[in-house]
Amino acid sequence: MLQVFEARLFELVTGEIGSELVAGRIVMAISFREEVLEHSWYAIEWWCQRRIFIGNCYVVSLAMKIRRFPEVRSVELKWKPHFADFNLVPDGWGGYFYPWICEMARVYPLLEEIKLKRMVVTDECLELISKSFKNFKVLVLSSCEGFSTDGLAAIAANCRHCCMLFASWNLRELDLRESEVEDLSGHWLSHFPDSCTSLQSLNMSCLASEVNFSALQRLIARSPNLKTLRLNRAVPLEKLSTLLHRAPQLVELGTGAYSAEIRPNVYSNLAEAFSRCKELMGLSGFWDVVPSYLPAIYSVCSRLTSLNLSYATIQSPDVTKIVTQCPNLQSLSVLDYIEDAGLHALSLSCKDLRELRVFPSDPFVADANVSLTEQGLVAVSEGCLKLQSVLYFCRQMSNAALTTIAKNRPNLNCFRLCILEPRAPDYLTLEPLDNGFGAIVDHCKQLQRLSLSGLLTDLVFEYIGNRAKKLEMLSIAFAGDSDMGLHHVLSGCDSLRKLEIRDCPFGDKALLDNVSKLETMRSLWMSSCSVSLGACKRLSQKMPRLNVEVIDEQGDLDSRSDNSPVEKLYVYRTVAGPRLDMPSFIRNMDQNPTCRRYSLEKLFSE
Amino acid sequence: MDVTLGLLDHIPAGDDGGGGGGGGGVPSGGSTTNRSILTVSKEDNKNTMVMSSEVTSGESLDGLELGLGLSIGGGGGGGGGLKSKMVANGGGGGWSQYARILTAKDFHTSLVSKPNSCSSSSSVNIPNSSTSGTKRTATDSVSPPNGTSVVGWPPVSKAHRMPTLANQIKSATENFVSKPEQNKSKNQTIGIKDYSDERNGLSNKKYRSVKVNMDGTLIGRKVDLNAHTSYEMLAQTLHEMFFSRWSSTEAVKPSRLLDGTSEFVLTYEDKDGDCMLVGDVPWEMFLSSVKRLRIMKNSDSNELAPRFQETNDSV
Repeated sequence: MLQVFEARLFELVTGEIGSELVAGRIVMAISFREEVLEHSWYAIEWWCQRRIFIGNCYVVSLAMKIRRFPEVRSVELKWKPHFADFNLVPDGWGGYFYPWICEMARVYPLLEEIKLKRMVVTDECLELISKSFKNFKVLVLSSCEGFSTDGLAAIAANCRHCCMLFASWNLRELDLRESEVEDLSGHWLSHFPDSCTSLQSLNMSCLASEVNFSALQRLIARSPNLKTLRLNRAVPLEKLSTLLHRAPQLVELGTGAYSAEIRPNVYSNLAEAFSRCKELMGLSGFWDVVPSYLPAIYSVCSRLTSLNLSYATIQSPDVTKIVTQCPNLQSLSVLDYIEDAGLHALSLSCKDLRELRVFPSDPFVADANVSLTEQGLVAVSEGCLKLQSVLYFCRQMSNAALTTIAKNRPNLNCFRLCILEPRAPDYLTLEPLDNGFGAIVDHCKQLQRLSLSGLLTDLVFEYIGNRAKKLEMLSIAFAGDSDMGLHHVLSGCDSLRKLEIRDCPFGDKALLDNVSKLETMRSLWMSSCSVSLGACKRLSQKMPRLNVEVIDEQGDLDSRSDNSPVEKLYVYRTVAGPRLDMPSFIRNMDQNPTCRRYSLEKLFSE
Repeated sequence: MDVTLGLLDHIPAGDDGGGGGGGGGVPSGGSTTNRSILTVSKEDNKNTMVMSSEVTSGESLDGLELGLGLSIGGGGGGGGGLKSKMVANGGGGGWSQYARILTAKDFHTSLVSKPNSCSSSSSVNIPNSSTSGTKRTATDSVSPPNGTSVVGWPPVSKAHRMPTLANQIKSATENFVSKPEQNKSKNQTIGIKDYSDERNGLSNKKYRSVKVNMDGTLIGRKVDLNAHTSYEMLAQTLHEMFFSRWSSTEAVKPSRLLDGTSEFVLTYEDKDGDCMLVGDVPWEMFLSSVKRLRIMKNSDSNELAPRFQETNDSV
């Protein structure tokens, strides 16, 4: 029974089993005896009671979390739904880190790492972080927002404060990947004190303004352990060699703007600097590329395992020239400028490729501006035997191509295809792409993540429900005919954790027929579908352990009839009841929030 | 919520020339070098849900009429028998009754007369009949009707939008906050995050906060301007925020922040990026143009725009 409990209920990662931890589990098992087999919804992982990962922050209330794990060293929180990346989640939705950091500052003195994704982080949060944890080492803010460079200055500066009190202040990692930062000035970097020598990773690529170059240079020079450096666009190419000279030990480099006037000495300095970087395995950056400077990186190409050219607006021959010199490449991100020809060359040269991501250079135009079709992907699926993960934007696809890809690469675990035009059919036969995607889920038995596009009927969902048993995350847009589509997915996909749907004719019946499934999932997002307000209320009534949130920016949710459709729906399991930070345009459908505190919470408060 | 389309106008320098597909995307109105930021929101229209799109950047309506967004029709795969039964029969009612984001498909057979514009008050009706399968042929070149942009589609995250445009933004000191009021063609800003006040009808703008920095203080604060009705109130708030420790020192009474007699002077940056003294213009005008506030040491304030100096000493 404990095994069932562990496997299904808690997604536990077993670590050190101290008696306390075991006791904790047993206690929980007893409380849950009646519910063990029915409700597997609690989504916290912990390991040695030291690492907390919460995949959806509203699952547990703050108080519960904090009290339970005082030894915590590392916290990782994710917040907003994935579709927030595409502007589907309105501002003000929630996800504020401030209440968390206030509590953490109080009770987690040993905290070393904070990793946040899609959260709202203010400068006050950053200031608190910088002042509260003497061992703080790692800060990763992924797709976050709400802070400015002032907050970063606090992080950098409070090294100084801590250094006076403690022997070593060890900021190891500051990673701002794709966050939106209010960029007030570049001076924040200058606040790193001279005594800070522990930096291993710095990613400031999302910032716009220029940082003080000599401060940057000095910081790099006194950080012998610096392995990852991702510069922002404002760092000019002429100065890159200066930085590289001070950090030949780099393993990952993100360049700044890759353009300069054509000057031989700049080029030769750069080429020479690159050649001294014997450990370099990952390259990124490459904004504004001037192709003449590309050969400067050739000396490192043979070692590269990771290459991100997704900002590089260079044409196919230039891209191809680079990738064909990287036989050890495992991960490639590139714009569709690479074209089918380039992908074909890739398939011949890069036999170790595991991950391919091809982004659209001009996503909002229907007519193809580049010669990239489904053939490029087919070629890569043929030539790259280790290919596991695909993200591919294109303008045409066929069932035949998808079937070929599926047969070539049954080891795919992530397949995300985006045909730019919604509901585009098989361009050869003009039929839906049901069979093609059906082949994908049929052959790729380990598929964990799938994104669909193109013209699709309910049939594809039948295939998915029947065959995609390992599928954990599914993204659907502009697909399906009726509720049966959703029903197939909810009733068939045993491993499903996250489901996000937009603009599909899925409605009340499928939702209400599969309510218990929703408690086994982390979250469900539906926008512009056919779900009625009344159904949301009924769902919430039936499943008190779900937060059923209706988002409607029209602002008159209270007066709408039960028949009216909801704009956006976000459903997730929780033990904490309705969250307290909802803006006015979001309603939780729970009629009786106070009755929702369960024995689990009582347990934690003991 | 917003979506950035960025099609309209920058494309002349770009590589495909089809800025906006279909009918050619050269905007007619004022130069709209900013990315057009469209939002799709519902208007309450009794039983028929209607989608409308709003201009959230400062562009003229004309500028948005052409080449909007996703001329997703007619390209690529051609048309032909859409076998899918687009009208949902199950699940509680006709598909067409419910609101949904428009796509180009809806407009294949309809809308002979284009809707006027994508102004914030116009709306685009969803003709119920257009939801059933529409034949499209490869020769269809649908000039995208206004308002057919689809929010959040294609699903490209902010970091990867419009790399072609990105090439033209050489200035590394642009900041990420969009300045939607700027219609100058020189200042191209990528409006990734739109803080514009023009989002009518969307989330209640209950507050409008601007950042306040004081010289010598590392961390700025934020103040909600909509919670104040006058300069005096604002000065009082700022005094509490920054000078409360100094309590009743004569040197920094709230009123002195405004009259230039204290050691500090209150300034703001307006939408044109100029540094101005607070208090010179009527409050409403100030509200509409202030971007951020700064409390400067008085000695630094000499570069400000000239101000009528009061000769009397008001204490």
